[in-house]
Amino acid sequence: MKPADLQKMSLLAKLAFCAWAIAGLIAQASAWGFSYGDQTASNQACLSCHGKTGEVPKGSFVDPQRFTLTAHASIGCAACHATVPSNHPDGTKVPKADCRDCHSGISDEYAKGLHAAKTACNGCHNPHLVQNPKDVSGQEINVICSNCHNSLEMTAKHGEWLPQSELHLRMLPCITCHTGAKDYYISMYIVKSKGDSRFGKQEVVEYAELKAMAGGRPIVSLIDTNRDNYVSLEELRVFNRSQKSLRLYGMMTPSTVSHKFEILDSRRNCSFCHTSGSGLMQTSFIAVPDEKGSFLRVPVEKGAVLDALYAAPDFYMMGSTKNANLNNVGLAIICCGLIMPVGHGFVRFLTRKNRKQKEHQS
Amino acid sequence: MSEKKRIYLQPWPIRIWHWINASGIIILIVSGAQIRFPESLSLFNSYKSAIEVHNTAGIIVSISFSFWFFYYKMVKNTLDKLYIPDEEDIKHGLVRQLLYYCFWYFLGRPSPYHATPDHKFNPMQKSAYLAVMFVLMPLVGLTGILLLNVTPLRVLILMWGGIKFIVALHFLLACSLLAFLCTHVYLATLGDYIKPMLIGWEDVEEHEEVGGTEVAIPGYRPVRHYPEYERALLEQRHS
Repeated sequence: MKPADLQKMSLLAKLAFCAWAIAGLIAQASAWGFSYGDQTASNQACLSCHGKTGEVPKGSFVDPQRFTLTAHASIGCAACHATVPSNHPDGTKVPKADCRDCHSGISDEYAKGLHAAKTACNGCHNPHLVQNPKDVSGQEINVICSNCHNSLEMTAKHGEWLPQSELHLRMLPCITCHTGAKDYYISMYIVKSKGDSRFGKQEVVEYAELKAMAGGRPIVSLIDTNRDNYVSLEELRVFNRSQKSLRLYGMMTPSTVSHKFEILDSRRNCSFCHTSGSGLMQTSFIAVPDEKGSFLRVPVEKGAVLDALYAAPDFYMMGSTKNANLNNVGLAIICCGLIMPVGHGFVRFLTRKNRKQKEHQS
Repeated sequence: MSEKKRIYLQPWPIRIWHWINASGIIILIVSGAQIRFPESLSLFNSYKSAIEVHNTAGIIVSISFSFWFFYYKMVKNTLDKLYIPDEEDIKHGLVRQLLYYCFWYFLGRPSPYHATPDHKFNPMQKSAYLAVMFVLMPLVGLTGILLLNVTPLRVLILMWGGIKFIVALHFLLACSLLAFLCTHVYLATLGDYIKPMLIGWEDVEEHEEVGGTEVAIPGYRPVRHYPEYERALLEQRHS
């Protein structure tokens, strides 16, 4: 053999080894149940039965639409249910993965909090429905909490120290006060009165309705008029003034969600939130519903965003939202009240001799 | 000729009401300022204390206001007479009182109006108190009650134009009350108004009534200090 042929053979051998090694790794990964490719096809096999209510017991039903939105759908059913027997369903239980296998950091954090002694991960999260907090509205986050914490009881309990407790519980995700997050952002949801009634409760507007309102354009263009994927405070003001039925509701949400649930004394200090231009309320996003049922987050100009929301008639946050023009009108009224004491008082001082003379005369 | 006379101008229920009202309104203004401007003012220990003080003072002032209305309307039955300006007040009294405050007072002339228990207020006081007690106070109280119960009274709030309108109205009415308070306290120093509100009695100089019907303007008492009256006195002396 010529040395050139030998060199070619050596290169081919190296390539073959590399290919074998990569194939081996992929095979190993599949054996562990972790696959980062598209798992839709493999999930379909399971969902063909588990996605139909009549085919499986109630507890084994998985809503295919909602499951698709979860991060768990992308790693596939087999990632958690690795050893499904070949004769399934034979009545035996299919083993489940331990959440800690993937979420060990969260598990350690959770163990330090108040919930640890009460319930495990599945007490709050259904692995077939769980979504990232950024993909759900604050109201939906609170629905999870209300499974154990009865709303009326919580309103009464918070009402022992918190003024307007019902309003606070409705307008804030529980995790804002009950986890020790350091950074927060204002998440604004597009809401509308229920049933278009003037007195209806405000509810997050769904994708289809907003899509129809946008008239073929992206939903965000209802607010982001110049379509630069960035909402300025001015655009927010214009939206609030021009819209008749749609409103923006701001919710203070932790930037990083902690699983260490606690009762924090610092949250009893009202000025944690109720201060205009608070450092905690400078970052905001508009959560625009997307077709998958989650939310697209559009950044908003930094600043006192709640002041920009002032134009909305039914959103007001004491100490945080106030209209500068109204403050000036108030100041002008108070100044009018000072005309008499200052103006009259000055002339009174200058003419004090006249009155003394009259007193002497009388 | 003149002699000292004491009249019982302010009965004790009204004096108690007045000072509860006065201290309540001052507390409401101070706590309200902190509630609106928490980043600039911290007169109370915490934001929550400011809210609690504001709510409590608001309830006390509202009850006290109801008491005032009940006392004058039902017990004394003098509410209309005391607070609603009559024809004479509007035609002459207002201008005369304004002239007194703007000119005659500086020239050293006494007030053209002397209070009696049934006619406690001069025409300007009547007009101002009519606006304050029948418009400002009820509205600021009602908007305050709505803001105190945002969730239970949500529909009522929306009927009134939404929470933001209610807040704006409450704020502007409160500013108007503060403006009134400045003027009210200052004007109280122009005559003997503070002493009767503390002890109930006012010392007045009783003059001999002089002059005929031609100088006495009906419905407006007394007429001693009117320019026409002074002219009549001079004419009497000359004759």
